[in-house]
Amino acid sequence: MSEDARVAQEDRELILRMAAKDANALDAFYTRYNRLAFGLVLRIVGNREDAEDVLTDVFWQVWQQSARYDASRGKPVAWLLTIARTRAIDRIRSTGRQQSQTNELDEQRDPPPAAPAADPAVLMDTRAAVQDALQTLPEQQRMLLEMAYFQGMSHTEIAQAVGQPLGTVKDRIRTGMMHLRKRLRPYVSV
Amino acid sequence: MKHTRLTDDLQEQASLYAAGAMTESEREQYARHLEEDECAVCRSEVTELQSSISLLAFTLPSSGPSPSVKTRLMQQAESARPVVVPRPPAFRWIDWITAAVAVASMAVAFVAIRANGQLRRNAAELNSRIAQLEVQVTQQRQIADVVFSPGARVVDLAGQGKNVQASGRIVWDRQRSRAIFSVANLPAPASDKSYQLWFVTKTGEKLSADIFETDNGSHVAELAVPEGMLAAAAVTTEPRGGSRQPTAGGFELLGAM
Repeated sequence: MSEDARVAQEDRELILRMAAKDANALDAFYTRYNRLAFGLVLRIVGNREDAEDVLTDVFWQVWQQSARYDASRGKPVAWLLTIARTRAIDRIRSTGRQQSQTNELDEQRDPPPAAPAADPAVLMDTRAAVQDALQTLPEQQRMLLEMAYFQGMSHTEIAQAVGQPLGTVKDRIRTGMMHLRKRLRPYVSV
Repeated sequence: MKHTRLTDDLQEQASLYAAGAMTESEREQYARHLEEDECAVCRSEVTELQSSISLLAFTLPSSGPSPSVKTRLMQQAESARPVVVPRPPAFRWIDWITAAVAVASMAVAFVAIRANGQLRRNAAELNSRIAQLEVQVTQQRQIADVVFSPGARVVDLAGQGKNVQASGRIVWDRQRSRAIFSVANLPAPASDKSYQLWFVTKTGEKLSADIFETDNGSHVAELAVPEGMLAAAAVTTEPRGGSRQPTAGGFELLGAM
C-alpha cells in the first residue's frame, strides 16, 4: 500500500471513529489537517479572526456529519476541503465580498504554532504534484479557476471582470479542470 | 433526469459546479439534479473534479490557527457525546410500563398533595421520576425505531475466554446504516482500560465502532455502521480512550455478521 493510500485509509478509519463519537479521532483528524484547511479558509475569507471561526465550523461539521461521509465520493481530505471551501465562501457571501487583506495574509503567515501537520512526506508529495499541475496550466485557465474557487466568483462575474465572452470563460474553466484532473488523478483516486 | 453518458455539455456543467463558478440559481438547480435525480454519471464527474480542484489548497502558504480553535472544538465535541442508555431495553412493553408507572405515580402524587407537606415533597419527587421516565421512553422509542425497522438484522456476540458469561447483540438497520449495540454481563474494565467494538470487513480491516465501559455489566448505544462487506464484530480491551487498531491479544465478545 502506498503512503498516500495508507493515509487515506487512516483518514477513513478516523471518520468512522468520529461517527461513533470518538473525540480522540476528531483530535487526530484536526491535528493532521488543521493547517491545510486553515490555509484554504484564510485564503478565501482574508482575515484570521473570521478564518478561525470558519475553521471551527468546518471541523464541527465534519464531526457532526461523519456518519454521512460516503467514501465513493472522494477521499476524506477532499471531503474536508470541499466543506472548508463551501463554508468560507458562505462566510464572504454573508459579510459582503472578500476583504482583500493581502497585507494581513502576508504579515500573519505562520503565526502561533498549532499542532504540526502529520505525514509531511505525503503532504509534500501532493503539494509538489499540484504545483507541477499548476505550472503546466495555461495562465488564462489558472487565473479563471482561482477567481472561481478562491473568490467565489460566478462565470458571469468572471466574464465581466476579465472582459471575455461568457462562452470563452466557461470553456477555459472546463479545459482547466480537465487538465487538473488529468495531472492529479493519482492523488484523488478513491 | 438521469443521464446515461457524459456529453461535453454535462462535462462543462460539472466543471463549473466543481470550480464553484455557477451562479447561485444554477448551483441550486444542479445540486438538486445530483441529489434528487441520483445521476451517477454527473455525480462521478463532479466527485473527481471537486477532489482535483480541492488539492489547490496544498499550494497555499502554510498557516496555523491559534490553539484556542482546537480547545473550543474539542469542548464542543466532548459536550455532545451520545446519550448512553444505562440498561438493556425491554422494547415493546416499555411504553405500557412507563405509562402505568406514570399513572400510578400521579395517583400517588394526588393523594400525597391531599395528605400533608411531607407527602407533597414525595409528590415532587415522583413527578421528577415521571419526567425521567418520559426521557427514557423517548430514548427507548429511538432504539425501537432501529430494532423494529423492516429488514433489521440481529447479530449475536458470544463471550470469549474469561468472559464466557457475557453476551452482546447488534440489531442492525441496514437501510439507514444504524445499529443498536447492547452488552450484558461484561464486568467493568480496569480503570486504565476501555472496551472497544470493531467491525471486521471481509478484507480483514478493523473499523472502530464504539468505545465504552460497562455499568453493572451492561451497555447500550446507538451506532453508525460503515458501508461495505462486514464479516464480524468483536469487542476487545484497549487502553482507556480506545485505540486506532486492536492491540489486545484476544476478544471479549465475538460474532459473525
